[in-house]
Amino acid sequence: MSSVEIRNLRKSFGPTEVLHGVSFTIPDGAFVALVGPSGCGKSTILRLLAGLEEVSDGELLIDDRVINDVEAKNRDIAMVFQNYALYPHMTVAENMGFSLRLMKRSKADITAAVKNVAEVLGIGELLDRLPKQLSGGQRQRVAMGRAIVRQPKVFLFDEPLSNLDAKLRVQMRAELKALHSRLQTTTIYVTHDQIEAMTMADIVVVMRDGFIEQIGRPLDLYDNPKNSFVAGFIGSPAMNFLPVTTEAGSATFSFGDGQSLSLAKFKHLQGEFLIGIRPEHFQQQKTRNGLSVTIESIEQTGAETLLQCQSGDQKVVIVLHDRFAASPGEEYRFGFDLADLHLFEAESGKAISS
Amino acid sequence: MTVSSNTRSRRKNLLLDIMLFVICVLLLMPLLLLIANGFKTPQEILVWPPTILPKDPTLENFHRVFSETPLFRWIFNSLSFALLSMIAIVITSTLAGYVVAKFQFWTINVIFTLFLATAIIPFEVYMIPLYFQVKALGALNSIGGLLIGYLVMSFGIFLIRQNVIAAVPDELIEAARIDGAGEFWIFWHIVVPLLKGPIAALSVLAFFQAWTTFAWPIVVLTRKTAFTIEVGLANFQSAYTVDLALLSAASAAVMVPSVLVFVLLRRSFVEGIAASGMKE
Ligand SMILES: Nc1ncnc2c1ncn2[C@@H]1O[C@H](COP(=O)(O)OP(=O)(O)O)[C@@H](O)[C@H]1O
Ligand SMILES: [Mg+2]
Repeated sequence: MSSVEIRNLRKSFGPTEVLHGVSFTIPDGAFVALVGPSGCGKSTILRLLAGLEEVSDGELLIDDRVINDVEAKNRDIAMVFQNYALYPHMTVAENMGFSLRLMKRSKADITAAVKNVAEVLGIGELLDRLPKQLSGGQRQRVAMGRAIVRQPKVFLFDEPLSNLDAKLRVQMRAELKALHSRLQTTTIYVTHDQIEAMTMADIVVVMRDGFIEQIGRPLDLYDNPKNSFVAGFIGSPAMNFLPVTTEAGSATFSFGDGQSLSLAKFKHLQGEFLIGIRPEHFQQQKTRNGLSVTIESIEQTGAETLLQCQSGDQKVVIVLHDRFAASPGEEYRFGFDLADLHLFEAESGKAISS
Repeated sequence: MTVSSNTRSRRKNLLLDIMLFVICVLLLMPLLLLIANGFKTPQEILVWPPTILPKDPTLENFHRVFSETPLFRWIFNSLSFALLSMIAIVITSTLAGYVVAKFQFWTINVIFTLFLATAIIPFEVYMIPLYFQVKALGALNSIGGLLIGYLVMSFGIFLIRQNVIAAVPDELIEAARIDGAGEFWIFWHIVVPLLKGPIAALSVLAFFQAWTTFAWPIVVLTRKTAFTIEVGLANFQSAYTVDLALLSAASAAVMVPSVLVFVLLRRSFVEGIAASGMKE
């Protein structure tokens, strides 16, 4: 078990810089998710940590020791690749025991360790098979097994579940989480799927275009996003953003279509803003505040009702946890709590706290 | 499938079979004649039309070949030359092909391009300068001198490079690095096993390239005991007038090892060439 620290990390490929000074600290044993849209630099961070790429600037530390110049093979980090990267000519047992063999451990030791981990992962029956004789889910487990057998200081996962079907993904999510609480090994988990990040991680690092947008516990990110990017990225369906304008001192925030909202605690503000409200924070009951929308389509899943609506020229998505009797085309006023509203500067997207 | 199209396709297949059979016979004919000639008396060889099965088979020709010429010595020379050249080419091609495929520095690319360029210069062009080099080294009439032009094969490098690109994803190498493997270990335990097919194909190619080569050995080898089989056979024509029966017997005897090697390696050869790539 180990702590990991990244200090002002920069990485350029040729003339293009893809990481622009990234810093965060991972306490010993934590499960951290790096999440962000495709191409934002998540894999690059993992590859730098693993020693597969050279750092352009900044420092990587494991247990307070700078590892920038330590070779990949000496970093004692295990990585699970998106496409598993199993050695095609080796059996499952040989794949899993590969690193132990390199550590010159005895045959008996290796067999025992591999067997032990294989049992935990439920692949004890597969040890003599070749990778090409396995299903996607089984390969995934072998790849994880190969990492676990080593008992490394740190686990790196690069979108390990993205090649699995939806059902298996949900199952593996739970298993990975259980595995982590059992092994307590420091883990960095890269995903573009915010639900994976939210459900598995102790700490979530939200990235965009080579910058960190916010670091926090999953629910902190959900409740207090620092900007409209994080607000829109975390949560599904995504938060609704509605442009509003206000005059200083008036406390009245007007939507484009003539509706408005009175927010006393923001009466010092002036200019253009975005009001953010999550789909699940609308209520069917009338409250003092609300928003009138035209319902465009209704999707009932039984547990919840998803409404696609239009307010002025803005799309609004609403999720209700009750059944809802209305038909498309109808106008309806949904309520919400002011506490659930988020306000962002229109231009920078920065969240405004009261 | 309807009945008529079924019969039509059967007829087409039959036609194809006949055609292939004819081609096969045409290809094999000279070979069969050669083997048959080895067993004929000098008189029967000159009979027209030639007989396929000798009327009066004799082992006399083989007997004379082995007693009058150091044929075994020549076969041994050819075999050592071909095997050493094969080993050298497999090693150099595998190493260079892997490096060119996976380590992309511009210097490596330039060197690779130069290597490919050597493929378009016929060997005969630099054979004579090379001869003087070998002579200066005092390596005439030796396996070493013979090998000098046959240690590296640019097509081999290209073949391995293509196969590495197709069959060895970066992630495998990276996974091995993270698992604690050094570069040579990765090459030996990950890359080479994945290239079994192409390496086998290359071995066959390299072996027969050396086995059948003629121009270079005849330049470098002047002592009779140092001859390779090709040079030895050529010598039949001048030194012993053209004794067809003797030459046929020698050639037939010489074919045995090459046919054996090919039969043994045929499968991996075909697989290796098929995998060399153009699939995917
Ligand atoms: N080897 C490379 N050479 C050039 N550009 C690269 C290389 N690897 C990644 N990049 C670029 O760096 C950016 C971040 O990539 P990556 O870390 O893979 O993103 P993510 O994993 O978040 O999807 C992308 O714009 C990508 O094109
Ligand atoms: Mg990635």
